[in-house]
Amino acid sequence: MGTRRLFAVVLAFACALAVFAVTRGDERAAAGPPSSAGGAELRPDASTDAQVRRLQAEVRQGAPREAELAAAYLQEARESGDPGFYARADGVLRRALARGPANPAELTEAAALAAGRHDFREAERLARRARALAPDALEPLPILVDALVELGRYGEAERTLQRLVDLKPSLAAYARVSYVRELHGDLRGAIGALNLAISAGGPVRENVAYLQSLLGGLELGRGRLGAARRAFDAALVAVPDYAPAVAGRARLAARTGDLRGAIKRWRRLVARLPLPEYAIALGEAELAAGRVSAARRDLALVPVQERLLAEAGVNADVELAVYEADHGDPRRGVALARAAWAQAPGVRSADALGWALTRAGRPRAGLEWARRALRLGSVDPLFRYHAGVAAVAVARRAEGERNLRVALSHGLDALPLHANHARKELAR
Amino acid sequence: MIRVLVAILLALAVLPATASAHPLGNFSVNHLTRVSVSSDRVDVRYVLDEAEIPTFQQRGVADAELLRRKRDEVARGLVLSVDGRRVALRPTGAGSLKHPPGQGGLETTRVELPLIATVDAPRSVTLRDGTFPGRVGWTAIVAVPGRGTAVRSSAPTSDPTDALRRYPDDVLDSPSELRTATLDVRPGAGTVEATGAMRPAATGERSAEDGLTAVFSDAADGKGVLLLLLVTAFAWGALHALSPGHGKAMVAAYLVGTRGTPRHAVALGATVTVTHTAGVFALGGVALLLSQYVLPEQLYPWLNLASGALVLLVGAAVLRSRFTATRAHAHAQHHHQNHAHEHAHSHGGATHSHAVPERFSWRGLVAMGAAAGLIPCPSALVVLLGAIAQGQIALGMLLIVAFSAGLAATLTLLGLAVVFAGRALGRLPVPRRLALALPTVSALLIVGVGVVLTVQAVPQVA
Repeated sequence: MGTRRLFAVVLAFACALAVFAVTRGDERAAAGPPSSAGGAELRPDASTDAQVRRLQAEVRQGAPREAELAAAYLQEARESGDPGFYARADGVLRRALARGPANPAELTEAAALAAGRHDFREAERLARRARALAPDALEPLPILVDALVELGRYGEAERTLQRLVDLKPSLAAYARVSYVRELHGDLRGAIGALNLAISAGGPVRENVAYLQSLLGGLELGRGRLGAARRAFDAALVAVPDYAPAVAGRARLAARTGDLRGAIKRWRRLVARLPLPEYAIALGEAELAAGRVSAARRDLALVPVQERLLAEAGVNADVELAVYEADHGDPRRGVALARAAWAQAPGVRSADALGWALTRAGRPRAGLEWARRALRLGSVDPLFRYHAGVAAVAVARRAEGERNLRVALSHGLDALPLHANHARKELAR
Repeated sequence: MIRVLVAILLALAVLPATASAHPLGNFSVNHLTRVSVSSDRVDVRYVLDEAEIPTFQQRGVADAELLRRKRDEVARGLVLSVDGRRVALRPTGAGSLKHPPGQGGLETTRVELPLIATVDAPRSVTLRDGTFPGRVGWTAIVAVPGRGTAVRSSAPTSDPTDALRRYPDDVLDSPSELRTATLDVRPGAGTVEATGAMRPAATGERSAEDGLTAVFSDAADGKGVLLLLLVTAFAWGALHALSPGHGKAMVAAYLVGTRGTPRHAVALGATVTVTHTAGVFALGGVALLLSQYVLPEQLYPWLNLASGALVLLVGAAVLRSRFTATRAHAHAQHHHQNHAHEHAHSHGGATHSHAVPERFSWRGLVAMGAAAGLIPCPSALVVLLGAIAQGQIALGMLLIVAFSAGLAATLTLLGLAVVFAGRALGRLPVPRRLALALPTVSALLIVGVGVVLTVQAVPQVA
């Protein structure tokens, strides 16, 4: 059977289905207020749902399966976008810990939850406790790797990761190999590892869809737009309306100069799942298109989210710091980024702090932090753009231009507002 | 570009959930529909509770306009069907809109809309809440007693949220996700009873019936999308049959080899439809069951191998019957000089069954059709699984049937063409040797195709 033709047919059929979904969505969108725009329902994987219900019933009857239920809740949170499942996972684990001494599985899920809540030190501590109780268990290792990476302890993270890969070259292992390679600027290697992770597969469709969305992002960074599109579409076939893949398609649209298409996609995504990350992307795309008042309106969502976070005692989000630096109060951005750095001293926090300092009128300090963000050799277009602007501002023209060029050759055009600014800086 | 693998929804992760008035976080859109069926009317009360973020997203809109938008959303999304027909829900009064205070000095939005439908001695009532698709939130339907009826409801009869004013925080319960309810109505004294031990959380909306309802209510609404989709599926099936594989060669060769009739060609097509549909359904079912352990893609190679082996077997059987037939002919030749020409015409209509018993068998034909239909069409499976993922199971099944019918149509047409071409060939003064050899060659061709399929499948399995 000709695999290529078969593939074409599969794609065609997927398209037919997508057309169906989109036309339905459009009917709704055209007929109704913006709040109801959006395609088909964002629904969790039926298997995850069923698993949650089964485990709920079993725990209700006294079976000691809280750890599994917590894991299912965490997966459900990823799939539904409903943070209430984090609270449920937390409650279930507390229940288990109240019952008796912690077992490794419960500690592992508690570590995953802590990582999900950005408490990476706690995640590391819990993962290590799980390891101490069950030295042969592999489940804590991926979480330990995540925590170490975010804490900026890359050598330790890589050694742990190597052990994991040697013992069990699974989806979880290869996905992290990919991330570490990406941090080092090795996009080809990152893509290779992601493909291995995808072919290793997993029990939950959403996991693979997530990796395909990441793959699309990496291909976008390498400028292979067709491959990026295929990866995003594969994710969307696996999980219809999957938010990370819709976001990917929006970035791809922006990258190809289709700003209207990008705005349309971002708008639908924000209407459905108003995460700050998506609201910022929407606002910046609108700014790039010159729609200033719409942008102002959409960006206003971000400080509101920030206020709600602050009220809950959370005061350290990297994305919010970058938002404040770009569109709000850069000095507040510096404060947020410093808190983020205290919590997770990795390259992401370094980049945010550097950019906030640069925007707050301290480009010399900003450049130092930006260099720290690039110390592994990342080619992340946003990191490079931030470093480039800081360097130009302190008259280190060569360094600045080099970084801006790297940013532009690695997909900064997916963020048209920054791409325009980078080109202006280069032309000066 | 920025990512933590464990925690995909980063900001989401840190959003306060327990501290919030809304268990589903600050961007939930929660709605509850209370329905009561009386002998002459259906009363519906739609309650909407939007958390801080969605409220903020629609700031600047005057309350009157906001209320109008919500009414429109409900008019479009809330579908009431009585005895299989959609019935219009009219608002009684303007409804109310309030902004209770929320967290962080922000407001929330609370809307209540009373609706009514006039009916006459309803038997079966279905309510489908399609409002605010894709938004996270508590979605529930509650059945309450009406006048002069005894109702059995698939939806619960109690509401743990006090009309969305507070939410249960049991960590062993998932938020309610109920968007469809079916109520069986008989004359009675105003009672309502929930069928089954359904907790609000346990009643998902993924039942096949719901999908069917959705598809048919869309179709009933005059949305041509369904028809278009079915036609597209049929056309794709027909085109798909033209791509390599799919046993065109073997079907044609089989019909030539057995000197089939148009009836056989049609039967072959029908068999392909049935086996292909059944095959995809079975594979879909198995894939769903096994999806915990095996990826569907891992099943294809095995199916490829199975169908390859089946084709090989059928080819061998035809070849064997050819040899026995040729020998029989060699004996018959002395007595009936023209026999070889005769049978090309003789077995149309009712006399077919024993005209060439040693060459044609219905069993062989069905096996052939099964082999052609069994060859997995991943596209068809993708459609089915995709539809299941979207909760549109019925739609997926319909699409597969249309797709298979298209597939079969092409194969049948091809078969008919081969049969008629064969007849025309039979009338030509073809050398007897060639006429005898042709079916043998076809049988060899089937064997060849079987070998190729099997050989291709083996490395995939390994």
